[in-house]
Amino acid sequence: MISSTIGIWNYWIVFCLMMIGLFLVIGRKNFLKKIVGLTIFQTSVFLLYITFGKIKGGTPPILNESINSIYSNPLPHVLILTAIVVGVATTALGLSLVLRINSEYGSIEEDDISAQDLVDYHDEIETGKSIDLKFKQ
Amino acid sequence: MISELLINAFLVTIMLSIAIALIKTRTVIFTVILTSAYSLIAALMFITLDAVDVAFTEASVGAGISTILFLAAMAYLPKKEEESINTQFVPALSCIILGGILIWCSYDLPEIGQLTAPIHQHIAPEYIKGSKEDIGIPNVVTSVLASYRGYDTFGETIVVFTAGVAVLALLEKKNPVKKNRSLPSKKLKKNA
Repeated sequence: MISSTIGIWNYWIVFCLMMIGLFLVIGRKNFLKKIVGLTIFQTSVFLLYITFGKIKGGTPPILNESINSIYSNPLPHVLILTAIVVGVATTALGLSLVLRINSEYGSIEEDDISAQDLVDYHDEIETGKSIDLKFKQ
Repeated sequence: MISELLINAFLVTIMLSIAIALIKTRTVIFTVILTSAYSLIAALMFITLDAVDVAFTEASVGAGISTILFLAAMAYLPKKEEESINTQFVPALSCIILGGILIWCSYDLPEIGQLTAPIHQHIAPEYIKGSKEDIGIPNVVTSVLASYRGYDTFGETIVVFTAGVAVLALLEKKNPVKKNRSLPSKKLKKNA
């Protein structure tokens, strides 16, 4: 009983971590917090993959002729190595988008930004001409 | 062999508590530090799960470089997260339902560490056998990454290059920053 609970305990917690990451992405209005949520989500997916590759009593997949042992599965490790580097590239891109939004709107809260857009839209309707200065160089 | 699974369960529970603290905190610097700690404990878990290459990549790239990126971005951003006016009921409920479905499905997953799990039967033994003869590198992860799946790694390099170009294009300052643009939400609050 205990051994089988331990056997899938990792999966449960990893799923909880994923859902916390997803909640930070869709439930929080702060853009920096959304990117942190993405990072949490990514790391928990990495954990899930590496957990699949584990073999009980195995060693890291580095061949050693002196010990005749079983090796854990190297394929998830390779996939996740690639995914970690791509994940950092995604984080950098997201952060630079946030910085750009902050310099345009002066805020990184979703409520503030949609309020500004709404005000601009109403101004546009009232004056009858399009205020398109925001993205003009 | 149960002890390493126990260590795993302990570490993953620490990660859960860090993630819960991340939901609670509203200060940006705490958020960044907690994310860094989360990555470091993930790296520890990768070591206990026999993924040593992934562990040091996560410790250097995940806990190092991304923390530096967050700190650098933090310098230009507001230091406090504002309390949201709207309720977060719908996102929380959908996350709980989705998590419940995933946990329900986890009963069909093979237990951790079983040699008979389908993932260990497919192509992985071939790679472990062939690594020494085909490529001559004892580290199987390196030989798969750089030789068997070399095109994947090449694609990854292209992705990182594209992201770098996009970051440069986004951060290029052509027009002066509008510093004192008043926030309409504050204006609305003042009028109300």
